[in-house]
Amino acid sequence: MSGEARQAVQAVLVRELLTVARSRAYLGLVAGVSLVAAGVLAAGGGVEVGYVPAAIDLLLPFELLVPAVAVALGYRTITDDADRGELDVLETYPVPPWAYVVGVYAGRAIAMVGALGVPLALAGLYLSTQSPPDPTTLATHSGVDSPVLFVRFVGLTLLYGLVALALALAVSALAWSRRTAIVLAILLLGSVAIGIDLLVLRGFGAGWVADQQLTTALAASPASAYRGLVFETVLYVAFDSESGYAAPAASVAGLLAWLVAGLGLTVAGVTRRN
Amino acid sequence: MKVPMTDTQHHAVGDKPETDGAQSEETVLVADDVSHTYGDLSVLEEVSVSLAAGEVVALVGPNGSGKTTLLRVLSGLLTPTAGEISYRGPERNRERGYLPQQPAFRPGFSARETLAFYTSLVDGDPDELLDRVGLGDAGDRTVETLSGGMTRLLGIAQATVGDPPVLLFDEPGSGLDPGMRRQTWAVVGERAAAGAAVLLSTHDTLLAEQCADRVLLLGDGQVQADGSPAALTDEYDRDSLQSVFEAAVGGESGPVGSMGDST
Repeated sequence: MSGEARQAVQAVLVRELLTVARSRAYLGLVAGVSLVAAGVLAAGGGVEVGYVPAAIDLLLPFELLVPAVAVALGYRTITDDADRGELDVLETYPVPPWAYVVGVYAGRAIAMVGALGVPLALAGLYLSTQSPPDPTTLATHSGVDSPVLFVRFVGLTLLYGLVALALALAVSALAWSRRTAIVLAILLLGSVAIGIDLLVLRGFGAGWVADQQLTTALAASPASAYRGLVFETVLYVAFDSESGYAAPAASVAGLLAWLVAGLGLTVAGVTRRN
Repeated sequence: MKVPMTDTQHHAVGDKPETDGAQSEETVLVADDVSHTYGDLSVLEEVSVSLAAGEVVALVGPNGSGKTTLLRVLSGLLTPTAGEISYRGPERNRERGYLPQQPAFRPGFSARETLAFYTSLVDGDPDELLDRVGLGDAGDRTVETLSGGMTRLLGIAQATVGDPPVLLFDEPGSGLDPGMRRQTWAVVGERAAAGAAVLLSTHDTLLAEQCADRVLLLGDGQVQADGSPAALTDEYDRDSLQSVFEAAVGGESGPVGSMGDST
Protein backbone atom coordinates (compact mmCIF):
# COMPACT_ATOMS: atom_id res chain seq x y z
CA MET A 1 0.00 0.00 0.00
CA SER A 2 1.44 3.38 -0.97
CA GLY A 3 1.85 6.16 1.58
CA GLU A 4 -0.96 8.15 -0.03
CA ALA A 5 -3.35 5.20 0.03
CA ARG A 6 -2.49 4.46 3.67
CA GLN A 7 -3.10 8.11 4.49
CA ALA A 8 -6.46 7.94 2.70
CA VAL A 9 -7.54 4.76 4.50
CA GLN A 10 -6.60 6.27 7.84
CA ALA A 11 -8.39 9.57 7.18
CA VAL A 12 -11.59 7.87 6.02
CA LEU A 13 -11.47 5.39 8.93
CA VAL A 14 -11.11 8.17 11.49
CA ARG A 15 -13.98 10.09 9.90
CA GLU A 16 -16.24 7.03 10.06
CA LEU A 17 -15.36 6.41 13.70
CA LEU A 18 -16.04 10.03 14.62
CA THR A 19 -19.34 9.93 12.72
CA VAL A 20 -20.46 6.85 14.62
CA ALA A 21 -19.14 8.02 17.97
CA ARG A 22 -21.10 11.28 17.68
CA SER A 23 -24.30 9.54 16.71
CA ARG A 24 -26.95 9.05 19.37
CA ALA A 25 -28.38 6.32 17.17
CA TYR A 26 -25.21 4.31 17.76
CA LEU A 27 -25.60 4.53 21.51
CA GLY A 28 -29.20 3.45 21.02
CA LEU A 29 -27.97 0.52 18.94
CA VAL A 30 -25.56 -0.63 21.64
CA ALA A 31 -28.27 -0.22 24.28
CA GLY A 32 -30.74 -2.16 22.11
CA VAL A 33 -28.34 -5.07 21.56
CA SER A 34 -27.55 -5.09 25.28
CA LEU A 35 -31.24 -5.18 26.18
CA VAL A 36 -31.95 -7.98 23.72
CA ALA A 37 -29.00 -10.01 25.02
CA ALA A 38 -30.00 -9.44 28.64
CA GLY A 39 -33.64 -10.24 27.90
CA VAL A 40 -32.81 -13.42 26.02
CA LEU A 41 -30.44 -14.62 28.72
CA ALA A 42 -32.92 -13.85 31.49
CA ALA A 43 -35.80 -15.55 29.68
CA GLY A 44 -33.81 -18.56 28.46
CA GLY A 45 -32.34 -19.42 31.82
CA GLY A 46 -28.96 -20.29 30.32
CA VAL A 47 -27.27 -17.48 32.18
CA GLU A 48 -27.87 -19.30 35.45
CA VAL A 49 -26.29 -22.47 34.11
CA GLY A 50 -23.11 -21.48 32.32
CA TYR A 51 -21.32 -20.16 29.27
CA VAL A 52 -22.41 -22.72 26.70
CA PRO A 53 -26.08 -22.69 27.73
CA ALA A 54 -25.96 -18.89 27.48
CA ALA A 55 -24.51 -19.19 23.98
CA ILE A 56 -27.30 -21.61 23.06
CA ASP A 57 -29.88 -19.10 24.23
CA LEU A 58 -28.23 -16.23 22.30
CA LEU A 59 -27.61 -18.10 19.04
CA LEU A 60 -31.01 -17.89 17.35
CA PRO A 61 -31.81 -14.25 18.25
CA PHE A 62 -28.34 -13.20 17.17
CA GLU A 63 -28.75 -14.89 13.79
CA LEU A 64 -31.36 -12.20 13.13
CA LEU A 65 -29.97 -9.39 15.26
CA VAL A 66 -26.45 -9.35 13.82
CA PRO A 67 -27.52 -8.65 10.20
CA ALA A 68 -29.93 -6.02 11.51
CA VAL A 69 -27.09 -4.26 13.35
CA ALA A 70 -24.86 -4.52 10.27
CA VAL A 71 -27.55 -3.02 8.07
CA ALA A 72 -28.18 -0.22 10.56
CA LEU A 73 -24.48 0.65 10.59
CA GLY A 74 -23.76 0.38 6.91
CA TYR A 75 -26.68 0.59 4.51
CA ARG A 76 -26.57 4.37 4.01
CA THR A 77 -22.92 5.21 4.53
CA ILE A 78 -21.81 5.31 0.91
CA THR A 79 -25.22 6.29 -0.50
CA ASP A 80 -25.17 9.41 1.65
CA ASP A 81 -21.61 10.32 0.61
CA ALA A 82 -22.69 9.93 -3.02
CA ASP A 83 -25.90 11.94 -2.53
CA ARG A 84 -23.93 14.82 -1.02
CA GLY A 85 -21.47 14.76 -3.91
CA GLU A 86 -18.61 13.91 -1.58
CA LEU A 87 -17.64 10.86 -3.62
CA ASP A 88 -17.19 13.18 -6.62
CA VAL A 89 -15.07 15.54 -4.56
CA LEU A 90 -12.99 12.69 -3.14
CA GLU A 91 -12.24 11.58 -6.68
CA THR A 92 -10.21 14.76 -7.13
CA TYR A 93 -8.00 13.65 -4.23
CA PRO A 94 -5.49 10.79 -4.25
CA VAL A 95 -8.08 8.40 -2.80
CA PRO A 96 -8.53 5.23 -4.87
CA PRO A 97 -12.00 3.64 -4.54
CA TRP A 98 -10.60 0.59 -2.74
CA ALA A 99 -8.86 2.80 -0.15
CA TYR A 100 -12.12 4.65 0.49
CA VAL A 101 -13.98 1.34 0.88
CA VAL A 102 -11.34 -0.13 3.19
CA GLY A 103 -11.44 3.02 5.34
CA VAL A 104 -15.24 3.03 5.53
CA TYR A 105 -15.36 -0.69 6.22
CA ALA A 106 -12.66 -0.59 8.89
CA GLY A 107 -14.32 2.33 10.68
CA ARG A 108 -17.75 0.73 10.60
CA ALA A 109 -16.28 -2.66 11.52
CA ILE A 110 -14.80 -1.20 14.69
CA ALA A 111 -18.23 0.26 15.46
CA MET A 112 -19.80 -3.13 14.74
CA VAL A 113 -17.38 -4.89 17.07
CA GLY A 114 -18.31 -2.35 19.75
CA ALA A 115 -22.06 -2.72 19.18
CA LEU A 116 -21.96 -6.53 19.40
CA GLY A 117 -18.84 -7.11 21.45
CA VAL A 118 -19.62 -4.81 24.38
CA PRO A 119 -23.00 -6.40 25.23
CA LEU A 120 -21.58 -9.90 24.79
CA ALA A 121 -18.51 -9.04 26.88
CA LEU A 122 -20.80 -7.72 29.61
CA ALA A 123 -22.78 -10.95 29.42
CA GLY A 124 -19.53 -12.92 29.69
CA LEU A 125 -18.45 -10.88 32.69
CA TYR A 126 -21.78 -11.47 34.35
CA LEU A 127 -21.50 -15.20 33.64
CA SER A 128 -18.06 -15.25 35.24
CA THR A 129 -19.56 -13.98 38.49
CA GLN A 130 -22.07 -16.82 38.65
CA SER A 131 -21.43 -19.97 40.70
CA PRO A 132 -20.33 -23.12 38.82
CA PRO A 133 -23.23 -24.96 37.18
CA ASP A 134 -25.02 -27.87 38.77
CA PRO A 135 -24.01 -31.02 36.84
CA THR A 136 -27.59 -32.18 36.35
CA THR A 137 -28.73 -28.94 34.77
CA LEU A 138 -25.53 -28.75 32.78
CA ALA A 139 -26.45 -32.08 31.24
CA THR A 140 -29.64 -30.61 29.86
CA HIS A 141 -27.55 -27.95 28.11
CA SER A 142 -25.10 -30.44 26.58
CA GLY A 143 -21.99 -31.24 28.47
CA VAL A 144 -18.92 -29.28 29.46
CA ASP A 145 -18.71 -25.59 30.01
CA SER A 146 -15.88 -23.09 29.68
CA PRO A 147 -15.42 -19.36 29.22
CA VAL A 148 -13.25 -20.23 26.23
CA LEU A 149 -16.32 -21.64 24.50
CA PHE A 150 -18.22 -18.42 25.16
CA VAL A 151 -15.31 -16.37 23.80
CA ARG A 152 -15.38 -18.61 20.73
CA PHE A 153 -19.10 -17.88 20.36
CA VAL A 154 -18.40 -14.14 20.60
CA GLY A 155 -15.64 -14.45 17.99
CA LEU A 156 -17.92 -16.29 15.57
CA THR A 157 -20.68 -13.76 16.18
CA LEU A 158 -18.29 -10.92 15.32
CA LEU A 159 -17.15 -12.75 12.17
CA TYR A 160 -20.78 -13.15 11.14
CA GLY A 161 -21.28 -9.44 11.83
CA LEU A 162 -18.28 -8.44 9.74
CA VAL A 163 -19.61 -10.49 6.82
CA ALA A 164 -23.06 -8.94 7.16
CA LEU A 165 -21.46 -5.48 7.34
CA ALA A 166 -19.56 -6.06 4.09
CA LEU A 167 -22.86 -6.98 2.43
CA ALA A 168 -24.59 -3.94 3.93
CA LEU A 169 -21.86 -1.70 2.51
CA ALA A 170 -22.31 -3.35 -0.88
CA VAL A 171 -25.99 -2.40 -0.72
CA SER A 172 -24.96 1.14 0.16
CA ALA A 173 -22.57 1.33 -2.79
CA LEU A 174 -24.96 -0.21 -5.31
CA ALA A 175 -28.11 1.70 -4.30
CA TRP A 176 -28.77 4.78 -6.39
CA SER A 177 -30.85 6.59 -3.76
CA ARG A 178 -31.69 6.42 -0.07
CA ARG A 179 -35.00 4.83 -0.92
CA THR A 180 -33.43 2.05 -2.95
CA ALA A 181 -30.86 1.61 -0.19
CA ILE A 182 -33.69 0.96 2.28
CA VAL A 183 -35.38 -1.52 -0.06
CA LEU A 184 -32.12 -3.32 -0.82
CA ALA A 185 -31.22 -3.38 2.88
CA ILE A 186 -34.52 -5.06 3.74
CA LEU A 187 -33.95 -7.59 0.96
CA LEU A 188 -30.43 -8.19 2.24
CA LEU A 189 -31.67 -8.68 5.79
CA GLY A 190 -34.25 -11.22 4.65
CA SER A 191 -31.77 -13.01 2.39
CA VAL A 192 -28.99 -13.27 4.95
CA ALA A 193 -31.22 -14.20 7.87
CA ILE A 194 -33.48 -16.78 6.20
CA GLY A 195 -33.70 -16.35 2.42
CA ILE A 196 -30.61 -18.31 1.40
CA ASP A 197 -31.40 -21.04 3.96
CA LEU A 198 -34.85 -21.44 2.45
CA LEU A 199 -33.37 -21.57 -1.02
CA VAL A 200 -30.98 -24.35 -0.04
CA LEU A 201 -33.74 -26.28 1.71
CA ARG A 202 -35.97 -25.81 -1.31
CA GLY A 203 -33.15 -27.25 -3.40
CA PHE A 204 -32.88 -30.15 -0.99
CA GLY A 205 -36.62 -30.80 -1.18
CA ALA A 206 -36.58 -30.63 -4.96
CA GLY A 207 -33.64 -32.99 -5.18
CA TRP A 208 -31.13 -30.45 -6.55
CA VAL A 209 -29.09 -30.88 -3.37
CA ALA A 210 -28.21 -34.44 -2.37
CA ASP A 211 -28.33 -35.68 1.26
CA GLN A 212 -24.57 -35.76 1.62
CA GLN A 213 -24.26 -32.27 0.12
CA LEU A 214 -26.73 -30.58 2.45
CA THR A 215 -24.33 -29.44 5.18
CA THR A 216 -21.91 -28.11 2.56
CA ALA A 217 -24.72 -26.39 0.67
CA LEU A 218 -25.98 -24.77 3.88
CA ALA A 219 -22.52 -23.29 4.37
CA ALA A 220 -23.36 -21.06 1.40
CA SER A 221 -25.80 -19.22 3.64
CA PRO A 222 -24.11 -16.77 6.05
CA ALA A 223 -26.64 -17.51 8.80
CA SER A 224 -26.30 -21.27 8.38
CA ALA A 225 -22.53 -21.05 8.21
CA TYR A 226 -22.53 -19.08 11.47
CA ARG A 227 -24.98 -21.48 13.10
CA GLY A 228 -23.03 -24.48 11.87
CA LEU A 229 -19.74 -23.13 13.19
CA VAL A 230 -21.30 -22.42 16.58
CA PHE A 231 -22.73 -25.93 16.67
CA GLU A 232 -19.46 -27.56 15.72
CA THR A 233 -17.00 -25.45 17.69
CA VAL A 234 -18.97 -24.31 20.74
CA LEU A 235 -21.99 -26.44 21.54
CA TYR A 236 -20.89 -29.96 20.65
CA VAL A 237 -17.16 -29.58 21.06
CA ALA A 238 -17.01 -31.99 23.97
CA PHE A 239 -18.82 -34.84 22.29
CA ASP A 240 -17.31 -37.10 19.68
CA SER A 241 -20.74 -38.43 18.85
CA GLU A 242 -22.31 -35.00 18.45
CA SER A 243 -20.83 -33.69 15.24
CA GLY A 244 -21.52 -33.58 11.56
CA TYR A 245 -24.30 -31.03 11.91
CA ALA A 246 -22.35 -28.65 9.72
CA ALA A 247 -19.25 -28.54 7.55
CA PRO A 248 -16.85 -26.25 9.46
CA ALA A 249 -14.32 -25.79 6.66
CA ALA A 250 -17.06 -25.07 4.14
CA SER A 251 -18.74 -22.71 6.60
CA VAL A 252 -15.55 -20.71 7.11
CA ALA A 253 -15.00 -20.65 3.35
CA GLY A 254 -18.61 -19.58 2.84
CA LEU A 255 -18.34 -16.69 5.28
CA LEU A 256 -15.02 -15.55 3.83
CA ALA A 257 -16.46 -15.77 0.32
CA TRP A 258 -19.39 -13.54 1.34
CA LEU A 259 -16.95 -11.13 3.00
CA VAL A 260 -14.78 -10.87 -0.10
CA ALA A 261 -17.83 -10.69 -2.38
CA GLY A 262 -19.36 -7.94 -0.24
CA LEU A 263 -16.21 -5.83 -0.25
CA GLY A 264 -15.59 -6.52 -3.93
CA LEU A 265 -19.11 -5.41 -4.83
CA THR A 266 -18.65 -2.31 -2.68
CA VAL A 267 -15.46 -1.35 -4.50
CA ALA A 268 -17.16 -2.05 -7.85
CA GLY A 269 -20.14 0.08 -6.82
CA VAL A 270 -17.96 3.01 -5.76
CA THR A 271 -15.87 2.71 -8.94
CA ARG A 272 -19.02 2.65 -11.06
CA ARG A 273 -20.23 5.86 -9.44
CA ASN A 274 -16.93 7.54 -10.24
CA MET B 1 -5.65 37.63 -14.97
CA LYS B 2 -8.34 40.14 -14.19
CA VAL B 3 -10.18 39.80 -10.92
CA PRO B 4 -11.47 42.03 -8.14
CA MET B 5 -9.52 42.10 -4.92
CA THR B 6 -10.78 42.09 -1.36
CA ASP B 7 -11.19 45.44 0.34
CA THR B 8 -8.13 44.76 2.46
CA GLN B 9 -6.01 44.56 -0.65
CA HIS B 10 -7.09 48.04 -1.71
CA HIS B 11 -7.72 47.17 -5.33
CA ALA B 12 -10.78 48.21 -7.22
CA VAL B 13 -12.87 45.68 -9.11
CA GLY B 14 -11.17 44.98 -12.38
CA ASP B 15 -7.65 45.81 -11.29
CA LYS B 16 -4.95 43.43 -12.41
CA PRO B 17 -3.10 41.99 -9.40
CA GLU B 18 0.46 40.76 -9.45
CA THR B 19 0.96 37.23 -10.76
CA ASP B 20 3.75 34.75 -10.53
CA GLY B 21 4.57 35.76 -14.06
CA ALA B 22 6.74 32.97 -15.38
CA GLN B 23 3.92 30.45 -15.37
CA SER B 24 1.18 32.69 -16.65
CA GLU B 25 1.25 31.43 -20.23
CA GLU B 26 1.79 27.77 -19.39
CA THR B 27 -1.06 25.55 -20.56
CA VAL B 28 -2.12 23.24 -17.74
CA LEU B 29 -5.27 21.58 -19.05
CA VAL B 30 -6.43 20.82 -22.58
CA ALA B 31 -9.72 19.39 -23.80
CA ASP B 32 -9.43 18.24 -27.37
CA ASP B 33 -12.63 17.70 -29.39
CA VAL B 34 -14.46 16.44 -26.33
CA SER B 35 -17.97 15.07 -26.72
CA HIS B 36 -20.25 13.59 -24.13
CA THR B 37 -23.59 11.87 -24.43
CA TYR B 38 -26.09 10.56 -21.90
CA GLY B 39 -27.70 7.69 -23.75
CA ASP B 40 -28.97 9.20 -26.98
CA LEU B 41 -28.73 12.75 -25.67
CA SER B 42 -25.68 14.59 -26.89
CA VAL B 43 -24.59 17.11 -24.28
CA LEU B 44 -21.16 18.19 -25.48
CA GLU B 45 -20.09 18.17 -29.11
CA GLU B 46 -16.44 18.45 -30.05
CA VAL B 47 -15.56 21.02 -27.44
CA SER B 48 -11.93 22.14 -27.39
CA VAL B 49 -10.69 24.23 -24.50
CA SER B 50 -7.30 25.01 -23.03
CA LEU B 51 -6.56 26.60 -19.68
CA ALA B 52 -3.35 28.44 -18.88
CA ALA B 53 -1.77 28.90 -15.48
CA GLY B 54 -2.81 32.14 -13.82
CA GLU B 55 -5.83 32.54 -16.06
CA VAL B 56 -9.43 33.10 -14.99
CA VAL B 57 -11.92 31.79 -17.53
CA ALA B 58 -15.66 32.33 -17.19
CA LEU B 59 -17.90 29.66 -18.66
CA VAL B 60 -21.15 31.29 -19.65
CA GLY B 61 -24.18 29.67 -21.20
CA PRO B 62 -27.90 29.23 -20.79
CA ASN B 63 -29.36 26.56 -18.54
CA GLY B 64 -28.95 23.16 -20.14
CA SER B 65 -26.09 24.21 -22.38
CA GLY B 66 -23.67 21.64 -20.92
CA LYS B 67 -21.64 23.79 -18.51
CA THR B 68 -21.80 21.36 -15.61
CA THR B 69 -21.04 18.42 -17.87
CA LEU B 70 -18.02 20.22 -19.31
CA LEU B 71 -16.74 21.04 -15.82
CA ARG B 72 -17.23 17.43 -14.73
CA VAL B 73 -15.45 16.14 -17.81
CA LEU B 74 -12.56 18.54 -17.28
CA SER B 75 -12.31 17.59 -13.61
CA GLY B 76 -12.09 13.91 -14.51
CA LEU B 77 -15.41 12.96 -12.92
CA LEU B 78 -16.94 12.05 -16.27
CA THR B 79 -15.18 10.23 -19.04
CA PRO B 80 -15.81 11.88 -22.40
CA THR B 81 -17.47 9.65 -24.99
CA ALA B 82 -15.10 11.11 -27.58
CA GLY B 83 -12.02 13.31 -27.52
CA GLU B 84 -9.55 13.53 -24.72
CA ILE B 85 -8.53 15.56 -21.70
CA SER B 86 -4.86 16.03 -20.96
CA TYR B 87 -3.40 17.55 -17.85
CA ARG B 88 -0.11 19.33 -18.58
CA GLY B 89 0.50 21.13 -15.34
CA PRO B 90 3.11 20.49 -12.67
CA GLU B 91 3.12 17.15 -10.91
CA ARG B 92 1.00 17.36 -7.77
CA ASN B 93 -0.79 14.82 -5.65
CA ARG B 94 -3.96 16.77 -6.39
CA GLU B 95 -4.10 18.17 -9.91
CA ARG B 96 -7.66 19.46 -10.08
CA GLY B 97 -9.85 21.07 -7.45
CA TYR B 98 -13.60 20.86 -7.97
CA LEU B 99 -16.49 22.79 -6.49
CA PRO B 100 -19.83 21.06 -7.16
CA GLN B 101 -22.84 23.16 -8.01
CA GLN B 102 -24.40 22.34 -4.64
CA PRO B 103 -21.60 21.54 -2.23
CA ALA B 104 -22.58 19.51 0.81
CA PHE B 105 -20.62 17.99 3.66
CA ARG B 106 -21.01 15.22 6.18
CA PRO B 107 -23.18 16.52 9.02
CA GLY B 108 -21.95 16.52 12.60
CA PHE B 109 -18.55 17.96 11.75
CA SER B 110 -17.41 21.54 12.15
CA ALA B 111 -16.15 23.56 9.20
CA ARG B 112 -12.61 23.21 10.55
CA GLU B 113 -12.94 19.45 11.01
CA THR B 114 -14.33 19.12 7.51
CA LEU B 115 -11.31 20.85 6.03
CA ALA B 116 -9.01 18.91 8.37
CA PHE B 117 -10.35 15.72 6.80
CA TYR B 118 -9.55 16.94 3.28
CA THR B 119 -6.16 18.35 4.24
CA SER B 120 -5.26 15.01 5.82
CA LEU B 121 -5.57 13.52 2.32
CA VAL B 122 -3.06 15.89 0.75
CA ASP B 123 -1.65 18.88 2.53
CA GLY B 124 -2.75 22.18 3.97
CA ASP B 125 -3.79 24.06 7.06
CA PRO B 126 -7.55 24.12 7.81
CA ASP B 127 -7.36 27.49 9.56
CA GLU B 128 -5.48 29.06 6.66
CA LEU B 129 -8.11 27.70 4.29
CA LEU B 130 -10.93 29.07 6.44
CA ASP B 131 -9.26 32.48 6.47
CA ARG B 132 -8.78 32.26 2.72
CA VAL B 133 -12.54 32.20 2.15
CA GLY B 134 -13.48 34.49 5.03
CA LEU B 135 -14.81 31.77 7.31
CA GLY B 136 -12.15 32.18 9.98
CA ASP B 137 -14.74 33.01 12.63
CA ALA B 138 -17.03 30.15 11.66
CA GLY B 139 -14.53 27.31 11.99
CA ASP B 140 -16.23 25.77 15.02
CA ARG B 141 -19.72 25.82 13.54
CA THR B 142 -21.05 22.50 12.34
CA VAL B 143 -21.64 22.38 8.62
CA GLU B 144 -25.40 21.99 9.01
CA THR B 145 -25.55 25.36 10.82
CA LEU B 146 -23.79 27.21 7.99
CA SER B 147 -25.88 29.29 5.61
CA GLY B 148 -26.05 28.31 1.95
CA GLY B 149 -23.49 30.98 1.07
CA MET B 150 -21.12 29.92 3.83
CA THR B 151 -21.43 26.30 2.72
CA ARG B 152 -20.46 27.40 -0.79
CA LEU B 153 -17.45 29.27 0.60
CA LEU B 154 -16.49 26.15 2.54
CA GLY B 155 -16.81 24.26 -0.74
CA ILE B 156 -14.45 26.73 -2.37
CA ALA B 157 -11.98 26.24 0.48
CA GLN B 158 -12.26 22.49 -0.06
CA ALA B 159 -11.63 22.90 -3.78
CA THR B 160 -8.40 24.75 -3.09
CA VAL B 161 -7.02 22.17 -0.61
CA GLY B 162 -3.55 21.12 -1.73
CA ASP B 163 -3.28 24.12 -4.07
CA PRO B 164 -4.18 22.22 -7.25
CA PRO B 165 -2.95 23.88 -10.46
CA VAL B 166 -6.45 23.65 -12.00
CA LEU B 167 -9.60 24.87 -10.26
CA LEU B 168 -13.04 24.08 -11.64
CA PHE B 169 -15.91 25.89 -9.95
CA ASP B 170 -19.53 25.18 -10.83
CA GLU B 171 -21.44 28.42 -10.25
CA PRO B 172 -19.45 29.56 -7.22
CA GLY B 173 -21.39 32.81 -6.94
CA SER B 174 -24.86 31.34 -7.23
CA GLY B 175 -27.19 32.41 -4.45
CA LEU B 176 -24.58 34.54 -2.69
CA ASP B 177 -25.10 38.05 -1.41
CA PRO B 178 -22.88 40.75 -2.95
CA GLY B 179 -20.34 40.58 -0.12
CA MET B 180 -19.93 36.83 -0.36
CA ARG B 181 -19.82 37.02 -4.14
CA ARG B 182 -17.01 39.54 -3.89
CA GLN B 183 -15.26 37.20 -1.46
CA THR B 184 -15.63 34.37 -3.98
CA TRP B 185 -14.10 36.39 -6.78
CA ALA B 186 -11.33 37.51 -4.45
CA VAL B 187 -10.45 33.89 -3.74
CA VAL B 188 -10.52 33.18 -7.46
CA GLY B 189 -8.17 36.09 -8.03
CA GLU B 190 -5.81 35.02 -5.28
CA ARG B 191 -5.61 31.47 -6.60
CA ALA B 192 -5.00 32.71 -10.13
CA ALA B 193 -2.34 35.08 -8.82
CA ALA B 194 -0.71 32.07 -7.18
CA GLY B 195 -0.56 30.41 -10.60
CA ALA B 196 -3.72 28.31 -10.74
CA ALA B 197 -5.89 28.12 -13.83
CA VAL B 198 -9.49 28.80 -12.84
CA LEU B 199 -12.53 27.89 -14.91
CA LEU B 200 -15.84 28.85 -13.37
CA SER B 201 -19.36 28.71 -14.67
CA THR B 202 -21.57 31.69 -14.06
CA HIS B 203 -24.75 33.37 -15.22
CA ASP B 204 -23.43 36.73 -14.11
CA THR B 205 -22.18 38.21 -17.38
CA LEU B 206 -21.47 41.58 -15.79
CA LEU B 207 -19.03 40.09 -13.27
CA ALA B 208 -17.59 37.78 -15.91
CA GLU B 209 -16.93 40.81 -18.10
CA GLN B 210 -15.27 42.65 -15.22
CA CYS B 211 -13.33 39.83 -13.68
CA ALA B 212 -12.46 37.13 -16.20
CA ASP B 213 -9.48 37.12 -18.53
CA ARG B 214 -11.37 35.03 -21.00
CA VAL B 215 -14.97 34.07 -21.59
CA LEU B 216 -16.21 30.82 -23.09
CA LEU B 217 -19.74 31.05 -24.41
CA LEU B 218 -21.32 27.62 -24.48
CA GLY B 219 -24.52 26.94 -26.35
CA ASP B 220 -26.10 23.67 -27.47
CA GLY B 221 -23.09 21.78 -26.17
CA GLN B 222 -20.65 23.66 -28.36
CA VAL B 223 -18.29 26.57 -27.83
CA GLN B 224 -20.02 29.48 -29.58
CA ALA B 225 -17.39 32.05 -28.73
CA ASP B 226 -14.07 32.17 -26.91
CA GLY B 227 -12.04 35.26 -26.14
CA SER B 228 -11.43 38.12 -23.79
CA PRO B 229 -14.50 40.14 -22.89
CA ALA B 230 -13.16 43.09 -24.92
CA ALA B 231 -12.39 40.91 -27.94
CA LEU B 232 -15.86 39.38 -27.85
CA THR B 233 -17.66 42.70 -27.62
CA ASP B 234 -15.55 43.97 -30.53
CA GLU B 235 -16.12 40.84 -32.59
CA TYR B 236 -19.88 40.91 -32.12
CA ASP B 237 -20.00 44.68 -32.28
CA ARG B 238 -21.91 44.88 -28.99
CA ASP B 239 -21.52 47.07 -25.95
CA SER B 240 -21.65 44.39 -23.26
CA LEU B 241 -20.96 40.73 -22.69
CA GLN B 242 -24.66 40.19 -21.94
CA SER B 243 -25.46 41.49 -25.38
CA VAL B 244 -22.81 39.24 -26.92
CA PHE B 245 -24.25 36.33 -24.97
CA GLU B 246 -27.71 36.99 -26.35
CA ALA B 247 -26.38 37.28 -29.86
CA ALA B 248 -24.13 34.23 -29.70
CA VAL B 249 -26.20 31.71 -27.78
CA GLY B 250 -29.68 33.17 -27.71
CA GLY B 251 -29.65 34.17 -24.05
CA GLU B 252 -32.99 36.00 -24.21
CA SER B 253 -35.88 34.56 -22.28
CA GLY B 254 -37.28 31.53 -24.02
CA PRO B 255 -37.47 27.78 -23.74
CA VAL B 256 -34.88 26.20 -21.46
CA GLY B 257 -32.25 24.28 -23.37
CA SER B 258 -32.51 20.52 -23.24
CA MET B 259 -28.80 19.77 -23.23
CA GLY B 260 -26.67 19.14 -20.19
CA ASP B 261 -27.51 17.60 -16.86
CA SER B 262 -28.08 20.63 -14.77
CA THR B 263 -26.92 23.80 -16.41
